[in-house]
Amino acid sequence: MTAISRSAGSHPVPVIETDDWVARLSTPGPGRDAALRELHALLLRAARHQVSRMTALVSALGAERIDEIVNQSADEAMVALLGKLSTFEGRSRFTTWAYKFAVLHAAVEVRRHAWVGREIALEQSVEPCSSGPTPEDYSEAAALSAAITTAIDTVLTMHQRQIVIAVLIDDVPIDILAERLGSSRNALYKTLHDARDALRAQLIATGHLSSAQSTGWPR
Amino acid sequence: MTEHRHNLTPDVVRRLTVDPHPWLSCDDCFGLIDQYVELLLDEGPGAAQRMPAMRAHLAGCAACREEAQTLLALAASDRGLDPDEAESALAASASELGKN
Repeated sequence: MTAISRSAGSHPVPVIETDDWVARLSTPGPGRDAALRELHALLLRAARHQVSRMTALVSALGAERIDEIVNQSADEAMVALLGKLSTFEGRSRFTTWAYKFAVLHAAVEVRRHAWVGREIALEQSVEPCSSGPTPEDYSEAAALSAAITTAIDTVLTMHQRQIVIAVLIDDVPIDILAERLGSSRNALYKTLHDARDALRAQLIATGHLSSAQSTGWPR
Repeated sequence: MTEHRHNLTPDVVRRLTVDPHPWLSCDDCFGLIDQYVELLLDEGPGAAQRMPAMRAHLAGCAACREEAQTLLALAASDRGLDPDEAESALAASASELGKN
């Protein structure tokens, strides 16, 4: 076990008991109103934190638009969280559980804005770049690259090839691709899961990957 | 189809060949992510082995991992822990499985 250091000058947030949060949010009255305001502030903080980590994607947006994304994400997270409040089982701090709703909504919203107007070409085969690895690792790396390219072409279905190339090679966010295809993040991840199974089985069969290896090159 | 050419860098090779097992959906990852980050914060990266499906999913799903990193940083901050060090713990927990 590796302990994580305490931040210099840090002041841990006092833990409000989970039962207290759930009770305050569930009981009509002034206490609930105050709890809702506190919760919204937490969600705003989480959404802002997520957006601030995606600067490369939001740099073209103005401060006003970024603020809109943060507020919209916090609002949507609030609705989603309150709809799931009865499912909270206290297996984590309530604040950690709450943050994840805002983080999800903010990340999805930023990716959506970043990909507005960008075309996604669904390709069916891999065309490797001519610039390859250095001479020192040419043999192993080139052989593995060639084997992967062949495996993509031969053992994956057309749908799997399109999803694998878009998400794993061309860096199209999985939720954006799901939205464009009228699919879901879950469904596309299952496609990636099955495609990785097929690729790994082929690479193991051809001796390019051992069954114990979790990933390919570099070994 | 375009003429686009693809660069199979070491990172791309890892993404393509990372072991995806045990299976976990993105929705189930969302359901467990708060417990997972608190486990890492409370017990260190080695504790990831107790939730192998989460570890495998985060190694294979860039979107879920991006969100997990933020959640980890927020939860670490609440505990007065160093968020950067906490994120290193998350990376270490997935290191055996490679990065996507």
